Amino acid sequence: HPAVVPSGLLLGRRCRGQGREGTLAWVGGHAESRPLSAPRTGLLGVRVGKGDKSVTYEEAHGPRYIAHHKGRLSLHTGNLYGEDHAAEQMVEDVFLQKFMLGTFPVCLSDPRILKRRAHQLEVSALVLRQLPAHKFHLLVGYSETLLSPCYKRPVCLHLQTVPSKVVGSLYK
Amino acid sequence: MAAVATGRWLRFRCKLWLTLMGQRAGPCGQAPSCRFYSGSATIPKVEGTNITGIEEVVIPKKKTWDKVAVLQALASTVNRDATAAPYAFQDDPFLIPTSSVESRSFLLAKKSGENAAKFIINSHPKYFQKDIAEPHIPCLMPEYFEPQIEDISEAALRERIKLKKVKASVDMFDQLLQAGTAISLETSNSLLDLLCYYGDKEPSTDYHFQQSEKSEELEEAAEENNKKSEKADHQFGVTWRTKNNAERIFALMPEKNSHSYCTMIRGMVKHRAPARALNLYTELLNNRLHADVYTFNALIEATALSVSEKLEDKWNNILELLKQMAAQKVKPNLQTFNTILKCLQRFHTFGRLPALQTFREMKAIGIEPSLATYHYIIQLFYHHENPSKGSSLIIYDIMNELTGQKFSPKDPDDDMFFQSAMKACSFLRDLELAYQVHGLLNTGDNWKFIGPDHRRNFYYSKFFSLVCLMEQIDVTLKWYKDLIPSVFFPRSQTLIDLLQALDVANRLEVIPQIWKDSKEYGHTFHNVLKEEILMLMARDKHSPELQVAFADCAADIKSTYESQDGRQTAPEWPANSLNYVAVLFLRAGRTQEAWKMLGLFKKHNKIPGNELLNEFMDSAKASNSPAQAIEIVKLASAFSLPICESLTQRVMADFAINQEQKEALGNLTSLTSDSDTDSDSDINEGK
Repeated sequence: HPAVVPSGLLLGRRCRGQGREGTLAWVGGHAESRPLSAPRTGLLGVRVGKGDKSVTYEEAHGPRYIAHHKGRLSLHTGNLYGEDHAAEQMVEDVFLQKFMLGTFPVCLSDPRILKRRAHQLEVSALVLRQLPAHKFHLLVGYSETLLSPCYKRPVCLHLQTVPSKVVGSLYK
Repeated sequence: MAAVATGRWLRFRCKLWLTLMGQRAGPCGQAPSCRFYSGSATIPKVEGTNITGIEEVVIPKKKTWDKVAVLQALASTVNRDATAAPYAFQDDPFLIPTSSVESRSFLLAKKSGENAAKFIINSHPKYFQKDIAEPHIPCLMPEYFEPQIEDISEAALRERIKLKKVKASVDMFDQLLQAGTAISLETSNSLLDLLCYYGDKEPSTDYHFQQSEKSEELEEAAEENNKKSEKADHQFGVTWRTKNNAERIFALMPEKNSHSYCTMIRGMVKHRAPARALNLYTELLNNRLHADVYTFNALIEATALSVSEKLEDKWNNILELLKQMAAQKVKPNLQTFNTILKCLQRFHTFGRLPALQTFREMKAIGIEPSLATYHYIIQLFYHHENPSKGSSLIIYDIMNELTGQKFSPKDPDDDMFFQSAMKACSFLRDLELAYQVHGLLNTGDNWKFIGPDHRRNFYYSKFFSLVCLMEQIDVTLKWYKDLIPSVFFPRSQTLIDLLQALDVANRLEVIPQIWKDSKEYGHTFHNVLKEEILMLMARDKHSPELQVAFADCAADIKSTYESQDGRQTAPEWPANSLNYVAVLFLRAGRTQEAWKMLGLFKKHNKIPGNELLNEFMDSAKASNSPAQAIEIVKLASAFSLPICESLTQRVMADFAINQEQKEALGNLTSLTSDSDTDSDSDINEGK
């Protein structure tokens, strides 16, 4: 197998150019998109390197740390006993993640966190301060008003701005 | 204001506690056996007593609660958070607005994003059809703006009228007429309604935003224009073209009932063609039809709008109209009286007596006045006031009557009351009255009547300025923390008022904090404010810690001036500011920077003050360096200041200088004295 350095696959949640976007692989509630043919390196977290890559906390811990050191990306009760609509909610999650990535071109590599409370959908996102503030408000108003009729439920967006990508650990 | 609310909350809580205690136990110390007693605490409980003396149990009536009663009860326990930004903004320091301009632009941006999303949804409704909400949520479904019925029929016309498409419905009407179809009176009337409401123009998308602003501007313009005579009609806001579609269709209608006439009259008045409206009214009377109350309201407004008549004549015309209204047995409503008062408001002093008569009449009939009524009355009595003459005391009567009342919206002008009330309070310089008005604002749901942004800002600016002027400094600072910036962003005049209040109360140590706040609210480059701050800090000597704080603040202000210089081509350091900053540096012991300031004087071509030079001399003496002293004298002579003489003498007296320095000084003084003697000799020769 060719040794694929995962620096490109590191941010594997983005689609990687034309034609190579493969199927979605779900690992522990997190989406990773890469061609199925490539060896699945970096699946269980980021490979240990020389300590020169800066990664966020989310990326530094692999899927085995979910519910230990990390939380989940989407919080809903669909997977509890007796509850249904888990599959529909997963599809909605995928769409929302990609939608936010496209609408806010300066999103961090951290995926958005989706919470479903009663009838409401809350999307929490960390954004960089690349756009002026009034443009953020425009995009927020636009997303909320577009997604609410889409899912027939109130969609609420909570942004938190950071000056630059928050580095979780430098050891990778 | 916050104290009142907390008091209310505490009382609410105490009441809860007491009722709970009353239900649970009898007198203290005895075992609760409330199962057998109906909660009365006076019946003593004795062990083993036969329980025969129970009174009849009264079952209370079942209460019906509102669906959101629990939420309302919870909401009543929470006060406004004075540190939070309004919830419409995202809760993040980068995204919270820091000035009123920013807050308006953010809200507009959010609204335009929403409009963009709505446009997308309504252009592609087929993607949003899937209805998974149970029960159905109508506001999340796409709306249909395109007419569905394509053929030429009356149903198609009705649909277009419902969708508010002005041009399309007029076209459809014409097509129907050409085809020869008879159109029912109902449909024609509704078409007339549509045309008259929108004035024969398409409704724009931000119709409601612009509507209120435009009408206010037109109001003010109309007031000014009442003084001039002829051209008022044509200059401002006449949007009713003669022979427009409405009139044409009106003429084409085979039969007209009173509804048609009424609609036309109201449309004409709305779009500022009062004379035609009155003509149409006479036509209505000739056809022996009756007008309804809304039409009479419009006619009253038309009478007041018509120019080139004296005020008494206008008032008599209005009275005539009212008599006709009574003859036609049309009952007046709140709008009638409000319209009368609005017209009287334009008559200024002449309108005072009729206004009071109108108000009494309204009370006599039993119509409850709304906030707009009081607003017009206040405007009449306090708008063009001359402070030298005595002011009327009517606002006290008004406030006494209004205290504790809760209002519901009844008139579009209701939200102007608080602005005019606070303006009158500020004019009368009465703080108690202002507190009364503010208390009324916080009663029940009355906060909804504060109006749009600019009115709210105006109200709170005036309120806070009055508080600064008349209230003790501690209370003022509490109001400052409470109101700014969560309720309104202060203008620089407000901050200057606050600074003057601090000055009067001798609390100048708060000034660096105020400067920091001013930077946050966008006043970094406001020169008047900065000069005021510097002047207050530099005026007197203070304790050493305070001087250090002041010097830091002055350094900050200096850096803002410098960054301002970098941006503009013409540097703009006022001379006073340079003086003050240098003085503050000296007093705090930052002599290096103070000397650099002296260099700046030369660079910006400004003259240092005499006291400043004396202070520099003092500091030079304190640090015992004659070189510095000579520097100062050189600077003074470079500017050819008259103080140069006294400075030189002081240097000679106080410092130990060697011979060459003395000669240099002598040269300097001789230069200046030469020029002096020259000028003296000139004067002598001239005599």
